[in-house]
Amino acid sequence: MEDFLSHRPGWYVIGALIGVVVLGLLATINERIGVLGGYSNVLERATERAPRLGWKAWFLFGVVGGSLVFRLLAGHSTVHHGYGWLTRTFTHDQTVVVGGFLLVAGALIGFGAKTAGGCTSGNGLGGCGAGSPASFTATGTFMAVAIGSSFLIKGLIA
Amino acid sequence: MRLRGAAFAFGGLFGFLISWGQFTDPDRIRQMLLLEDPYLYLMMFTSIAVSFLGARVLMRRRARALLTGQLVRQEVSRPEPRHIAGAAIFAVGWSIADSCPAPIAAQLSQGVLWSLFTIAGVFLGILGWFRWQERRVSAATAGTTARA
Repeated sequence: MEDFLSHRPGWYVIGALIGVVVLGLLATINERIGVLGGYSNVLERATERAPRLGWKAWFLFGVVGGSLVFRLLAGHSTVHHGYGWLTRTFTHDQTVVVGGFLLVAGALIGFGAKTAGGCTSGNGLGGCGAGSPASFTATGTFMAVAIGSSFLIKGLIA
Repeated sequence: MRLRGAAFAFGGLFGFLISWGQFTDPDRIRQMLLLEDPYLYLMMFTSIAVSFLGARVLMRRRARALLTGQLVRQEVSRPEPRHIAGAAIFAVGWSIADSCPAPIAAQLSQGVLWSLFTIAGVFLGILGWFRWQERRVSAATAGTTARA
Protein backbone atom coordinates (compact mmCIF):
# COMPACT_ATOMS: atom_id res chain seq x y z
CA MET A 1 0.00 0.00 0.00
CA GLU A 2 2.80 2.41 0.92
CA ASP A 3 4.53 1.88 -2.41
CA PHE A 4 1.25 2.20 -4.30
CA LEU A 5 0.48 5.54 -2.64
CA SER A 6 3.99 6.93 -2.95
CA HIS A 7 3.54 7.49 -6.70
CA ARG A 8 0.92 9.93 -7.92
CA PRO A 9 -1.51 8.27 -10.30
CA GLY A 10 -2.19 9.50 -13.84
CA TRP A 11 -3.85 12.92 -14.12
CA TYR A 12 -6.86 11.25 -15.73
CA VAL A 13 -7.34 9.00 -12.66
CA ILE A 14 -7.22 11.82 -10.08
CA GLY A 15 -9.15 14.14 -12.43
CA ALA A 16 -11.96 11.62 -12.97
CA LEU A 17 -12.18 10.75 -9.27
CA ILE A 18 -12.30 14.42 -8.24
CA GLY A 19 -14.99 14.88 -10.90
CA VAL A 20 -16.93 12.09 -9.14
CA VAL A 21 -16.56 13.95 -5.80
CA VAL A 22 -17.95 17.14 -7.41
CA LEU A 23 -20.79 15.14 -8.93
CA GLY A 24 -21.38 13.21 -5.70
CA LEU A 25 -21.99 16.41 -3.72
CA LEU A 26 -24.46 17.52 -6.35
CA ALA A 27 -26.26 14.18 -6.50
CA THR A 28 -26.56 13.74 -2.73
CA ILE A 29 -26.96 17.22 -1.21
CA ASN A 30 -27.43 19.37 -4.32
CA GLU A 31 -24.45 21.60 -3.53
CA ARG A 32 -21.39 22.84 -5.40
CA ILE A 33 -17.95 21.88 -4.11
CA GLY A 34 -16.03 24.62 -2.32
CA VAL A 35 -13.34 24.64 0.35
CA LEU A 36 -12.96 28.32 1.16
CA GLY A 37 -16.61 28.30 2.24
CA GLY A 38 -15.59 25.83 4.97
CA TYR A 39 -13.05 28.25 6.42
CA SER A 40 -15.60 31.04 6.13
CA ASN A 41 -18.23 28.92 7.86
CA VAL A 42 -15.88 28.13 10.78
CA LEU A 43 -15.03 31.84 11.14
CA GLU A 44 -18.69 32.86 10.95
CA ARG A 45 -19.51 30.38 13.72
CA ALA A 46 -16.56 31.50 15.87
CA THR A 47 -17.51 35.17 15.56
CA GLU A 48 -21.22 34.42 16.02
CA ARG A 49 -22.09 35.57 12.52
CA ALA A 50 -23.68 32.13 11.99
CA PRO A 51 -25.68 30.06 14.52
CA ARG A 52 -24.14 26.70 13.54
CA LEU A 53 -21.60 24.98 11.35
CA GLY A 54 -22.97 24.16 7.91
CA TRP A 55 -22.05 21.43 5.44
CA LYS A 56 -19.13 23.43 4.07
CA ALA A 57 -17.32 23.32 7.41
CA TRP A 58 -17.87 19.55 7.56
CA PHE A 59 -16.50 19.22 4.04
CA LEU A 60 -13.37 21.06 5.20
CA PHE A 61 -13.05 18.79 8.26
CA GLY A 62 -13.35 15.87 5.84
CA VAL A 63 -10.44 17.22 3.76
CA VAL A 64 -8.29 17.26 6.90
CA GLY A 65 -9.45 13.74 7.82
CA GLY A 66 -8.97 12.32 4.33
CA SER A 67 -5.47 13.71 4.12
CA LEU A 68 -4.70 12.20 7.53
CA VAL A 69 -5.91 8.79 6.31
CA PHE A 70 -3.63 9.15 3.28
CA ARG A 71 -0.71 10.10 5.54
CA LEU A 72 -1.28 7.02 7.72
CA LEU A 73 -1.69 4.62 4.80
CA ALA A 74 1.21 6.06 2.78
CA GLY A 75 3.50 6.07 5.81
CA HIS A 76 5.08 9.36 4.81
CA SER A 77 4.24 12.98 4.13
CA THR A 78 3.91 14.26 0.56
CA VAL A 79 5.92 17.31 1.62
CA HIS A 80 9.48 16.22 2.25
CA HIS A 81 11.64 19.07 3.55
CA GLY A 82 10.84 22.64 4.47
CA TYR A 83 8.30 24.62 2.46
CA GLY A 84 9.22 24.95 -1.21
CA TRP A 85 11.00 28.02 -2.56
CA LEU A 86 10.38 29.97 0.63
CA THR A 87 12.51 27.85 2.99
CA ARG A 88 15.14 27.31 0.27
CA THR A 89 15.48 31.07 -0.26
CA PHE A 90 15.18 32.40 3.27
CA THR A 91 17.50 30.35 5.40
CA HIS A 92 17.84 32.78 8.33
CA ASP A 93 15.04 33.75 10.71
CA GLN A 94 12.79 31.32 8.83
CA THR A 95 9.92 31.40 11.30
CA VAL A 96 9.55 35.18 11.00
CA VAL A 97 10.28 35.60 7.28
CA VAL A 98 8.69 32.46 5.82
CA GLY A 99 5.86 32.61 8.37
CA GLY A 100 5.31 36.26 7.42
CA PHE A 101 5.18 35.46 3.71
CA LEU A 102 2.71 32.60 4.32
CA LEU A 103 0.53 34.75 6.60
CA VAL A 104 0.30 37.49 3.94
CA ALA A 105 -0.23 34.91 1.18
CA GLY A 106 -3.00 33.29 3.21
CA ALA A 107 -4.69 36.66 3.76
CA LEU A 108 -4.60 37.37 0.00
CA ILE A 109 -6.02 33.89 -0.67
CA GLY A 110 -8.84 34.36 1.86
CA PHE A 111 -9.76 37.91 0.85
CA GLY A 112 -9.39 37.28 -2.86
CA ALA A 113 -11.38 34.07 -2.94
CA LYS A 114 -14.20 35.60 -0.88
CA THR A 115 -14.34 38.51 -3.31
CA ALA A 116 -14.28 36.20 -6.36
CA GLY A 117 -16.89 33.89 -4.86
CA GLY A 118 -14.64 30.84 -4.75
CA CYS A 119 -11.15 29.37 -4.86
CA THR A 120 -9.57 26.75 -7.13
CA SER A 121 -12.18 24.28 -5.88
CA GLY A 122 -15.27 26.52 -5.80
CA ASN A 123 -14.69 28.36 -9.06
CA GLY A 124 -12.17 26.08 -10.79
CA LEU A 125 -13.75 22.68 -10.20
CA GLY A 126 -17.33 23.37 -9.08
CA GLY A 127 -18.16 26.53 -11.00
CA CYS A 128 -16.51 25.52 -14.26
CA GLY A 129 -18.09 22.08 -13.93
CA ALA A 130 -21.44 23.84 -13.68
CA GLY A 131 -20.64 25.82 -16.82
CA SER A 132 -20.82 29.16 -15.01
CA PRO A 133 -19.35 32.04 -17.07
CA ALA A 134 -18.37 33.86 -13.85
CA SER A 135 -16.32 30.86 -12.73
CA PHE A 136 -14.65 30.51 -16.14
CA THR A 137 -13.70 34.20 -15.89
CA ALA A 138 -12.37 33.83 -12.33
CA THR A 139 -10.49 30.62 -13.18
CA GLY A 140 -8.90 32.10 -16.30
CA THR A 141 -7.87 35.16 -14.28
CA PHE A 142 -6.34 33.31 -11.33
CA MET A 143 -4.51 30.88 -13.59
CA ALA A 144 -3.03 33.67 -15.72
CA VAL A 145 -2.09 35.88 -12.76
CA ALA A 146 -0.62 32.97 -10.72
CA ILE A 147 1.51 31.86 -13.68
CA GLY A 148 2.72 35.43 -14.27
CA SER A 149 3.35 36.01 -10.58
CA SER A 150 5.30 32.73 -10.26
CA PHE A 151 7.58 33.72 -13.15
CA LEU A 152 8.01 37.14 -11.51
CA ILE A 153 9.00 35.55 -8.19
CA LYS A 154 11.38 33.21 -9.99
CA GLY A 155 12.96 36.13 -11.85
CA LEU A 156 13.23 38.52 -8.92
CA ILE A 157 13.72 36.36 -5.84
CA ALA A 158 14.13 32.62 -6.38
CA MET B 1 -26.93 15.35 10.31
CA ARG B 2 -26.94 13.19 7.18
CA LEU B 3 -26.01 16.23 5.10
CA ARG B 4 -23.00 16.90 7.31
CA GLY B 5 -22.04 13.23 7.18
CA ALA B 6 -22.17 13.24 3.38
CA ALA B 7 -20.17 16.48 3.24
CA PHE B 8 -17.57 15.00 5.62
CA ALA B 9 -17.32 11.79 3.55
CA PHE B 10 -16.91 13.61 0.22
CA GLY B 11 -14.47 16.03 1.86
CA GLY B 12 -12.51 13.03 3.12
CA LEU B 13 -12.33 11.53 -0.35
CA PHE B 14 -11.29 14.91 -1.77
CA GLY B 15 -8.56 15.31 0.89
CA PHE B 16 -7.27 11.81 0.15
CA LEU B 17 -7.19 12.45 -3.59
CA ILE B 18 -5.42 15.81 -3.45
CA SER B 19 -2.83 14.24 -1.15
CA TRP B 20 -2.35 11.31 -3.55
CA GLY B 21 -2.04 13.73 -6.47
CA GLN B 22 0.64 15.53 -4.40
CA PHE B 23 -1.13 18.90 -4.58
CA THR B 24 -0.10 19.34 -0.95
CA ASP B 25 3.53 19.71 -2.04
CA PRO B 26 4.32 23.40 -2.74
CA ASP B 27 7.10 22.37 -5.15
CA ARG B 28 4.60 20.42 -7.29
CA ILE B 29 2.29 23.44 -7.51
CA ARG B 30 5.23 25.70 -8.36
CA GLN B 31 6.31 23.38 -11.18
CA MET B 32 2.78 23.57 -12.55
CA LEU B 33 2.61 27.38 -12.25
CA LEU B 34 6.02 27.68 -13.95
CA LEU B 35 4.60 25.52 -16.77
CA GLU B 36 7.10 22.74 -16.13
CA ASP B 37 4.42 20.15 -15.36
CA PRO B 38 0.95 19.99 -17.01
CA TYR B 39 -0.52 17.59 -14.40
CA LEU B 40 -2.68 20.20 -12.59
CA TYR B 41 -4.19 21.55 -15.79
CA LEU B 42 -4.95 18.11 -17.23
CA MET B 43 -6.40 16.95 -13.91
CA MET B 44 -8.65 20.03 -13.68
CA PHE B 45 -9.79 19.65 -17.27
CA THR B 46 -10.69 15.99 -16.69
CA SER B 47 -12.53 16.77 -13.46
CA ILE B 48 -14.50 19.60 -15.06
CA ALA B 49 -15.42 17.39 -18.04
CA VAL B 50 -16.60 14.53 -15.80
CA SER B 51 -18.67 16.76 -13.49
CA PHE B 52 -20.06 18.84 -16.38
CA LEU B 53 -21.25 15.80 -18.32
CA GLY B 54 -22.51 14.02 -15.20
CA ALA B 55 -24.48 17.06 -14.08
CA ARG B 56 -26.06 17.43 -17.54
CA VAL B 57 -27.25 13.80 -17.33
CA LEU B 58 -28.69 14.31 -13.82
CA MET B 59 -30.52 17.49 -14.82
CA ARG B 60 -31.81 16.04 -18.08
CA ARG B 61 -33.28 13.13 -16.13
CA ARG B 62 -34.72 15.59 -13.61
CA ALA B 63 -32.97 13.66 -10.86
CA ARG B 64 -33.50 14.55 -7.21
CA ALA B 65 -30.67 14.83 -4.69
CA LEU B 66 -30.50 11.65 -2.64
CA LEU B 67 -30.46 13.29 0.81
CA THR B 68 -32.43 16.50 0.28
CA GLY B 69 -34.98 15.33 -2.27
CA GLN B 70 -34.50 18.61 -4.17
CA LEU B 71 -34.42 18.69 -7.92
CA VAL B 72 -30.74 18.71 -8.91
CA ARG B 73 -29.86 22.13 -10.29
CA GLN B 74 -26.79 24.26 -10.81
CA GLU B 75 -26.70 28.01 -10.54
CA VAL B 76 -24.63 29.90 -13.05
CA SER B 77 -23.79 33.57 -12.91
CA ARG B 78 -22.50 36.25 -15.24
CA PRO B 79 -18.98 37.61 -14.77
CA GLU B 80 -18.65 40.77 -12.68
CA PRO B 81 -15.57 42.91 -11.95
CA ARG B 82 -15.29 41.28 -8.52
CA HIS B 83 -14.63 37.90 -10.13
CA ILE B 84 -11.58 39.31 -11.92
CA ALA B 85 -10.30 41.48 -9.05
CA GLY B 86 -10.82 38.78 -6.42
CA ALA B 87 -9.27 36.07 -8.57
CA ALA B 88 -6.22 38.25 -9.22
CA ILE B 89 -5.72 38.92 -5.49
CA PHE B 90 -6.20 35.22 -4.76
CA ALA B 91 -3.67 34.28 -7.45
CA VAL B 92 -0.90 36.42 -5.96
CA GLY B 93 -1.35 34.64 -2.62
CA TRP B 94 -1.53 31.27 -4.40
CA SER B 95 1.76 31.87 -6.21
CA ILE B 96 3.56 32.93 -3.02
CA ALA B 97 2.33 30.02 -0.88
CA ASP B 98 2.10 27.59 -3.81
CA SER B 99 -0.99 26.29 -2.12
CA CYS B 100 -4.70 27.04 -2.03
CA PRO B 101 -7.43 26.41 0.60
CA ALA B 102 -7.86 22.62 0.20
CA PRO B 103 -4.14 21.70 0.07
CA ILE B 104 -3.44 24.08 2.98
CA ALA B 105 -5.90 22.10 5.14
CA ALA B 106 -4.45 18.80 3.87
CA GLN B 107 -0.90 19.97 4.62
CA LEU B 108 -1.83 20.18 8.28
CA SER B 109 -2.60 16.45 8.36
CA GLN B 110 0.68 15.81 6.53
CA GLY B 111 2.51 17.40 9.45
CA VAL B 112 3.47 20.57 7.58
CA LEU B 113 3.31 23.06 10.43
CA TRP B 114 4.10 25.97 8.09
CA SER B 115 0.49 25.64 6.97
CA LEU B 116 -0.60 27.07 10.34
CA PHE B 117 0.66 30.48 9.15
CA THR B 118 -1.23 30.16 5.86
CA ILE B 119 -4.40 29.00 7.61
CA ALA B 120 -4.16 31.95 10.04
CA GLY B 121 -3.74 34.23 7.03
CA VAL B 122 -6.78 32.76 5.27
CA PHE B 123 -8.91 33.42 8.37
CA LEU B 124 -7.56 36.99 8.59
CA GLY B 125 -8.33 37.56 4.91
CA ILE B 126 -11.89 36.28 5.31
CA LEU B 127 -12.35 38.38 8.46
CA GLY B 128 -11.07 41.42 6.56
CA TRP B 129 -13.58 40.71 3.80
CA PHE B 130 -16.46 40.45 6.29
CA ARG B 131 -15.46 43.73 7.97
CA TRP B 132 -15.19 45.41 4.54
CA GLN B 133 -18.64 44.17 3.54
CA GLU B 134 -20.16 45.19 6.88
CA ARG B 135 -18.63 48.67 6.54
CA ARG B 136 -20.05 48.98 3.01
CA VAL B 137 -23.52 47.99 4.24
CA SER B 138 -23.28 50.46 7.16
CA ALA B 139 -22.19 53.26 4.81
CA ALA B 140 -25.02 52.47 2.37
CA THR B 141 -27.57 52.39 5.21
CA ALA B 142 -26.26 55.69 6.60
CA GLY B 143 -26.49 57.23 3.12
CA THR B 144 -30.08 56.06 2.68
CA THR B 145 -31.05 57.38 6.13
CA ALA B 146 -29.39 60.76 5.45
CA ARG B 147 -31.23 61.11 2.11
CA ALA B 148 -34.54 60.23 3.80
